[in-house]
Amino acid sequence: MADISRRTFMGLSLKLAVMMGLGVSAAPRIAECLDELSKGAAPVLWLQGQSCSGCSVSFLNAEEPGPAAILTESISLLYHSTLSAATGSVATGLLGEVIKKGGYILVVEGSIPAGMEEACVIGDEPFARQVSRAAKNAAALVALGACASYGGIPAAENNPTGAMGAPQFLEKENIHLPYMILPGCPAHPDWLVGALTHTLKFGIPPLDEEKRPKMFFSKFLHEQCPRFADYERENFAETFDDDGCLFKLGCLGPNTHADCTIRNWNSGVNSCIRAGAPCIGCASSAFPGKIAFPFYRKSERKV
Amino acid sequence: MGEKLSINPITRIEGHLGVKVEIESNRIVDAQSSGEMFRGFEVILKGRDPLDAQQITQRICGVCPVSHGVASSLAQEQAYSVNPPSNGRLLRNLILASNYIQSHILHFYQLAAVDFIDIKAITLYQGNDPLLNGLKSWAEQQISSTTAFPLAPFLPRYPGQYLESAELNILAIKHYLEALDMRRQAHKACALFAGKMPHAATLIPGGVTERVTVSKIVAFQEILKQLRIFIDNAYLPDALEVVKGFPDYFEIGKGPGNFLAYGVFPESDDGAKLLFPSGVVMDGKAGPFDADKITEDVQYSRYSSPSNLPPGQGQTVPDHAKPNAYSWLKAPRYEGKVMEVGPLARLLVAYHRDQGGAIKSQVDAALSILGKTPADLNSTSGRHVARALECKIVADRCAEWIAEVSPDGAAFKDFTIPQQASGVGLTEAPRGALGHWLKIEEKKIGSYQCVVPTTWNCSPRDDKGNLGAVEQALIGVPVQDSKNPIEAVRVVRSFDPCIACAVH
Repeated sequence: MADISRRTFMGLSLKLAVMMGLGVSAAPRIAECLDELSKGAAPVLWLQGQSCSGCSVSFLNAEEPGPAAILTESISLLYHSTLSAATGSVATGLLGEVIKKGGYILVVEGSIPAGMEEACVIGDEPFARQVSRAAKNAAALVALGACASYGGIPAAENNPTGAMGAPQFLEKENIHLPYMILPGCPAHPDWLVGALTHTLKFGIPPLDEEKRPKMFFSKFLHEQCPRFADYERENFAETFDDDGCLFKLGCLGPNTHADCTIRNWNSGVNSCIRAGAPCIGCASSAFPGKIAFPFYRKSERKV
Repeated sequence: MGEKLSINPITRIEGHLGVKVEIESNRIVDAQSSGEMFRGFEVILKGRDPLDAQQITQRICGVCPVSHGVASSLAQEQAYSVNPPSNGRLLRNLILASNYIQSHILHFYQLAAVDFIDIKAITLYQGNDPLLNGLKSWAEQQISSTTAFPLAPFLPRYPGQYLESAELNILAIKHYLEALDMRRQAHKACALFAGKMPHAATLIPGGVTERVTVSKIVAFQEILKQLRIFIDNAYLPDALEVVKGFPDYFEIGKGPGNFLAYGVFPESDDGAKLLFPSGVVMDGKAGPFDADKITEDVQYSRYSSPSNLPPGQGQTVPDHAKPNAYSWLKAPRYEGKVMEVGPLARLLVAYHRDQGGAIKSQVDAALSILGKTPADLNSTSGRHVARALECKIVADRCAEWIAEVSPDGAAFKDFTIPQQASGVGLTEAPRGALGHWLKIEEKKIGSYQCVVPTTWNCSPRDDKGNLGAVEQALIGVPVQDSKNPIEAVRVVRSFDPCIACAVH
């Protein structure tokens, strides 16, 4: 918790620096950043819309620093529907005060049902109105996960609620504030922790044209794939328990920008492709694809 | 006329839930449970490739994605006439079980226990534990500072009666912190075979895509060892201490008294033998489960599609402005009856129907510690005890399943997708009975319907006006202070609601 030793602190900073793609030389600056933040925690307001809470669960999988350290050292989590003690009128009262005071980083998880505002309601207020209100007073916004970034599954073909991601919604509501998106279904905890840390110390990290931090999303999965050699040798898996490149099973690694294949998931133990599962492109703006293009191209394969 | 009260949002659950209650003479006399979020998964799945389903339906819920992936795989396997080989079955059990463990630990410490333990007790800590001293100095600094929202997100909260013993509170706070690590470890174990969590990559009809290696088996066993130590020495004892500290809650929050389980964790490759068997308990008597007896009503749900349909013929046409409708949840019923599902239902069904009797003896042992009968488990406290006991039973069984896995053995069996077919996938999520109903037309999804645990538990009234299970559990609950209805939210949270699941 707050009393971590200097040595742990430097180790942590080194890890964070490498994680954020900043290189080892940035470690002392990050140590300083964490030091400062432990004195004054940055306010964060976390709102959930049409979400599955998967990005919240993924955040709880953060490691070094873990969620307890982040909550007590780096940020002040003013409200989060899954973690806050406040409920009912205490929660709506708290939300009102937080938004009135303003100046927080607003994390949005889930899409916004702009075409049917009744499809997501919190304490009698449509989520669309709540986000609009909260965004106007925020210092910056982080759209966390596929749904908040691009609309995700709720915004797939046949979208019955007019679901959309936060950037599209901000544009529709004519709200302007600094923001970034962290796509993925769910978003990797390192992406959120790394992006928040960077924002608090160095400002919003360098973003690409879609507003994704370049440090996590600049390369195609395919370029860093553990099965890339199989692709080069044209050694393709024909069915789900075959060795080889998963391209012919529908793998979307060649079209998806993310670093999962080198970062790996859940403390680095595995990733989709390492586990024999074709990438379904969950970090891509096209996710979950079109009806006409299935995730897996099993029926098309040559056997 | 009593006092009307809206408790919305109910936090520390998954998703968007509100309840409206009416209070007379400090007791709840009427209740309405409203699921407040709709996405339309069943609409979005139509026309897609059937193999998309076990990935898309996992995104219904980030807390129990594995259960949806398994239900979808089972429905497709029925349609494709394929069964996973032993390794596939065992890996699925391990993936599902490790997610049960993370979900149950998360529910108890991070979601429910905050209603019972007093976080402010940390300032009374006098020992040498560095984690607790760190938290203590953070709390002291927060309380003495001028920050507008001190101790967020643990304050503000309902003023109410929390545990009084500083010692018990501090132990529970220590375990709150350890639980964060333990549930992450459970996800790490899960990801060894799932590829990643949440949203398991490897689940597929015919088995799983992950290959088993000796090093993965050993890694899983190592994490499992730590999880079992935590469950035996922290979770289960803490759950028993908390319910002992609040004895009224064995009386408060009685559900409909009818319990339903589809059964889960196959222990034979044909799926006939299950760790938790299927069945129903009605009026204290156990009987077999028949999927044909399920229907879904929508008179009070925001859908214009016809009511009282079996899920195989179910429809989902949203109508947000439907008069008198007050929830996005449908109202599933079994033989027209309101059923409770979840760990308590699984344990009670197993208690009566489990052939080996191993589960019965564990339930009896816990009941004797508490001086309670099986009937007392139909309560707020009973649900917490059942969930903790189940967590132990599942974790213990994992040690046997992982020992049965054969390194490098096949975990997948190939199949072809037929032109026309249908399939039903019945399993159990951490929160209860989960079913997916699939129709394939011209190799595409013709229709897809999900009936999900919290749809059963948090449903609105059915066509006949029968209250849903949570609505019934709220009737009669004492509320000391209508501005701080902590008693009511304790009852609701004991069901571990998941609204993203329930509405989908």
